[in-house]
Amino acid sequence: MIAIEHVARQFVVPRSRPTLFASKRSSERVVRAVQDVSFEAPDAHITGLLGPNGAGKTTTLRMLAALISPDAGRLAVDGIDVVSRPREALARMGVLSDARGLYPRLSARENIVYYGALQGMPRDAAHARAEHLAQMLDMEPLLERRTEGFSQGERMKTALARALVHDPANIVLDEPTNGLDVIATRALRDTLRWLRTPAGGGKCIVFSTHIMQEVERLCDSVVVVSHGRTVAQGTVSDLLEQTGEQDLEEAFVKLAFTERHALADAGGTKGEAA
Amino acid sequence: MTMLPGRCALTVFRKEIVDALRERRTLAVVLVSSVLLGPLVLLALSALVASLEEHAEKREVYVAGLEHASGLRNYFERQTYTVKAAPADFEVLLRTSKFADPVVVVPKDYESAQQHGDAPVIEVVSDSANRQAESGAARIQRLLQGYGRERALLGLAVRGVSSELVEPMRVEERDLASAQTRATQFTGMLPFFVLMAVLYGALNAALDTTAGERERGSLEPLLMNPSGRASLVLGKWGAVACLSMLIAVLSCFSFLPGQWLLRSDTLQAMFQFGLHEALLFLVVLLPLAAALSAVLMAVAIRCRSFKEAQANSTVVVLGISLLPLVTLFNQSGEAPWHLWVPALAQNTLMTRVLKGEELSALQMLVPLLVCVLLSAAGVALVARGLRAAAVK
Repeated sequence: MIAIEHVARQFVVPRSRPTLFASKRSSERVVRAVQDVSFEAPDAHITGLLGPNGAGKTTTLRMLAALISPDAGRLAVDGIDVVSRPREALARMGVLSDARGLYPRLSARENIVYYGALQGMPRDAAHARAEHLAQMLDMEPLLERRTEGFSQGERMKTALARALVHDPANIVLDEPTNGLDVIATRALRDTLRWLRTPAGGGKCIVFSTHIMQEVERLCDSVVVVSHGRTVAQGTVSDLLEQTGEQDLEEAFVKLAFTERHALADAGGTKGEAA
Repeated sequence: MTMLPGRCALTVFRKEIVDALRERRTLAVVLVSSVLLGPLVLLALSALVASLEEHAEKREVYVAGLEHASGLRNYFERQTYTVKAAPADFEVLLRTSKFADPVVVVPKDYESAQQHGDAPVIEVVSDSANRQAESGAARIQRLLQGYGRERALLGLAVRGVSSELVEPMRVEERDLASAQTRATQFTGMLPFFVLMAVLYGALNAALDTTAGERERGSLEPLLMNPSGRASLVLGKWGAVACLSMLIAVLSCFSFLPGQWLLRSDTLQAMFQFGLHEALLFLVVLLPLAAALSAVLMAVAIRCRSFKEAQANSTVVVLGISLLPLVTLFNQSGEAPWHLWVPALAQNTLMTRVLKGEELSALQMLVPLLVCVLLSAAGVALVARGLRAAAVK
């Protein structure tokens, strides 16, 4: 189970082009990537993190993976606080991040087993697990090939197998279908559905996306994130009901962008806060 | 499942070694350029010395217009020189470096001028751009001066003057340099080649495990494993340092067989590079390999791509190649601070080994301390920059 409570994170970035007349104070810009995101993802449940580009999905998931520490709020994996006990939390999570680079000179199997070893698995167990995952993800012929020259779909499968090598109870995927074709996307959906079932381990699955179709077809519940805030959550039908729309896309636009207008109106106060 | 930091570091170490050894092409280039270059230079050097020696041993002198000076011929032959007639177009040949000996030119009126008491002019024709001829010119000059002195002494003896009056003192040279010290004139560049080998051994792996990992997008997922940053960095650094050390070992030992191929007996006698010297070289070089690996990694972790890292590491490469030159510009000899400067210290110590001088414990400890500090600083910087590097 993954619980995220009111996390916030801002970045200070230098202005890309300081102008001649800009004062020193304004040469740095504060980007409030995440302002207030909260949700709970239970076990045996697929939770979709839905939001437009730049909504703060990747930053939230990076905080969950202990890559960035939050300015405020709390993140917990199976009750383990990510900030104070990051390594224990990471051991209970399999994360397929936005960056899914493989080692091109290693075979798919070696890539997977390396992560198994880093998770503290004995070598034999890691090999057995790699074979099991290859079967599950239908990538057995790839296993002994070097990953140099793999297609997007093949890369994704290898990266997913690598993230799942230690059989984590919680699976976090950041836009996993980016760059995948229909067949690969369908295969991934089937895999995730199976992982949710008791036979698949009843995993807690969180995945971020900006594609409505995926949410409709796969998610048990949806968290809509916009402008660094959680603006709505519930099942797909809950959201439709809440907005009075027939179509998820319409509902999403209403939820995500009316909220943004509201924020833009409050722009003056926000600027002072920054 | 959490694991011990040591086991994690070992896992990373093993993976990085396998990864680096699979990059065959780069490895081959490094091996060829750094391991073979030294011995090849040694061979070229030996060929040069051998040809110089061969020339000196031949004891030949080429003369144009020999028929005009029978006394000179007699003198040359008494000095056990073989006198040969110079080819007709020797000037052209010398200028185009096709003829490798200076030519003594005797004028037609040599004997008659001598009988009249005039001092005839004998030319030694050489071309200062023709190295081989030039190296023989001094020898021929000395030979002719000997002839002149003999003539003068004979003339004085006939008039009853003692030869001591003409030569009130004798000059003899005594060279203090041992054979090995003399050899460093030729072998002085060897430490430089070995230093470069160590540097290039570390360079690629250091960049690949840091900036390369960032560029591939594999650093972020790597940090999502429950392993400490310190053990990740230690594993990576260990692998890079080991590769660099491997190149150092190969490069030092490559001089041993290279030495058997030396053609010049003198050079072979002077260049004493045995197992003992190779091991001393390694004692000096291995800490430097570790330190250079850490420094290169610390530079590269701040770079987003391999290319950027290559550009930035040029500073390190340049420093390592230029620092040994300090001894060249600084004519006052070795200064105590030399031992505190990486690369310069190693260069100094290796030169001493080649000269056959003993190394004291202090001389070894100072560079070792510098290398340990550099390694620690480099590893700490990489560990600190790792997380920021992953998300940017």
